[in-house]
Amino acid sequence: MDEFLQKLNDTFIVDDRWKYLTNGLKTTLIITLFAVMLGMALGFIVAVIRATHDKTGRLKVLNFISKIYLTVIRGTPVMVQLLIIYYVIFASVRIDKTLVGILAFGINSGAYVAEIVRSGIMSIDGGQFEAGASLGMNYNKTMTFIILPQAFKNVLPALANECIVLLKETSVAGYIALEDLTKGGDIIRSVTYEAFLPLIAVALIYLVIVVGLSSLVGRLERRLKKSDRG
Amino acid sequence: MKNTTKGIISACIAAAVLIIAGCGQSSSPAPASTASAQSEGGSAIPNTVFSADDLAGKVIGTQIGTTGWIFAGDVENAEVEAYNKAADAIQALKQGKVDAVIIDSEPAKVFVDKNTDLTILSDPFVEEEYSIAYKIGNDELGKKIDDALMAIKADGTLDTIVSHWIGDDPDHVSYTPDSSVARSGKLIMATNAEFPPYESMESGEIVGIDVDMMRAVCDRIGMELEIENMQFDSIIAAVNSGKADVGVAGMSVTPERQKNVSFTQGYATSTQVIVVRK
Repeated sequence: MDEFLQKLNDTFIVDDRWKYLTNGLKTTLIITLFAVMLGMALGFIVAVIRATHDKTGRLKVLNFISKIYLTVIRGTPVMVQLLIIYYVIFASVRIDKTLVGILAFGINSGAYVAEIVRSGIMSIDGGQFEAGASLGMNYNKTMTFIILPQAFKNVLPALANECIVLLKETSVAGYIALEDLTKGGDIIRSVTYEAFLPLIAVALIYLVIVVGLSSLVGRLERRLKKSDRG
Repeated sequence: MKNTTKGIISACIAAAVLIIAGCGQSSSPAPASTASAQSEGGSAIPNTVFSADDLAGKVIGTQIGTTGWIFAGDVENAEVEAYNKAADAIQALKQGKVDAVIIDSEPAKVFVDKNTDLTILSDPFVEEEYSIAYKIGNDELGKKIDDALMAIKADGTLDTIVSHWIGDDPDHVSYTPDSSVARSGKLIMATNAEFPPYESMESGEIVGIDVDMMRAVCDRIGMELEIENMQFDSIIAAVNSGKADVGVAGMSVTPERQKNVSFTQGYATSTQVIVVRK
């Protein structure tokens, strides 16, 4: 027991080492939050472009660009993308690494969000478009006010899942010397040479955030259900 | 069928876009280097560190868990960036993302040899000694290795290995394991093959002073050497948890490390140096 307390003290208390975890957590949350926002924005735009092309045959060029984006991003690992953005795209520039992280994870997440949202749009019955048309709405209006709200509800669980995946994927940010939560644990591990406590602490923090996120999404889903009939 | 063709075409175009982007990157610094050709290899971002005193308030690149990383933490107001590999820190230095890199002198020489735009500052930090780490309490193994080290120091084997890898005589063979030795059991050596000339990857194999030295040690103690390549900051944990028998990775003895592993006698001395852009 004494030994355990000693290790607890070494891992978290000495030299205020817990700060590596709290500062790392802050970085992780900032990257995740902004990357989710960027990913959602990119994803919705790409999804609408792709769905519009599928349904009406318009936006050929944009659809083509979107397809390349999806192929490249989904075909390469996020860690490689992160390294490419840091060492290749921003070579010879001193750039804020948090921004690099947000860009890399946001652009990566956007590709997955796009396919999730597109599947949502495709899941809406074609009759809904006709209903919009019969009300005198044009395509854009039908998409914005009739299709997307229903699609969003359908894909909410998948989107929440994507957020969770994104949060955990940010753990590779340490490769560009970004001090996120995982790297915070690594730093403690490299001064104390004690693996158990820092790793378990890091894992628990991720777990708590994910459980919190899941319960928030559950609440949102119940809220949106209220508008369902019967 | 049509979809497959489309998929293939878009994949090709995606690859082309990547390649073009890559070319754009590699060719874009070219005009800059021609412009500064007079100053011979002058980098786009000028160096601001000329002595150890200049480090205060600067961005220092290091490899996580190394003594350089510990030293950098003591520099006043400096921002320390802990990369997973020394080579990544060096790359960041070349790209102007950090102002200086603190690293062991021998790897520094290798990196500077390979990167003409980098140089080593003349004032080194304190001298330190590299030792082999083994699990606390495993004194039987520690004693055997210590004796073997003593023997290869005495008969000049270690000197030959070192002179092969550092400077003097790169042509002669460093060390050939003695095939007549009867071996019982494996000695698992944890290392981080990112640290030339002590250990690095060469055509798929881990080579270097530490590797050859351990082959010589294994010939003396009659064991078979097995090398595990891992992150530097995982080596002590690996030795501690019994995943490896020894940690040999150009590792110097520090009080924090000694709390967790035992060390043999030293086998090489080294200093920490500051690497900067020219």
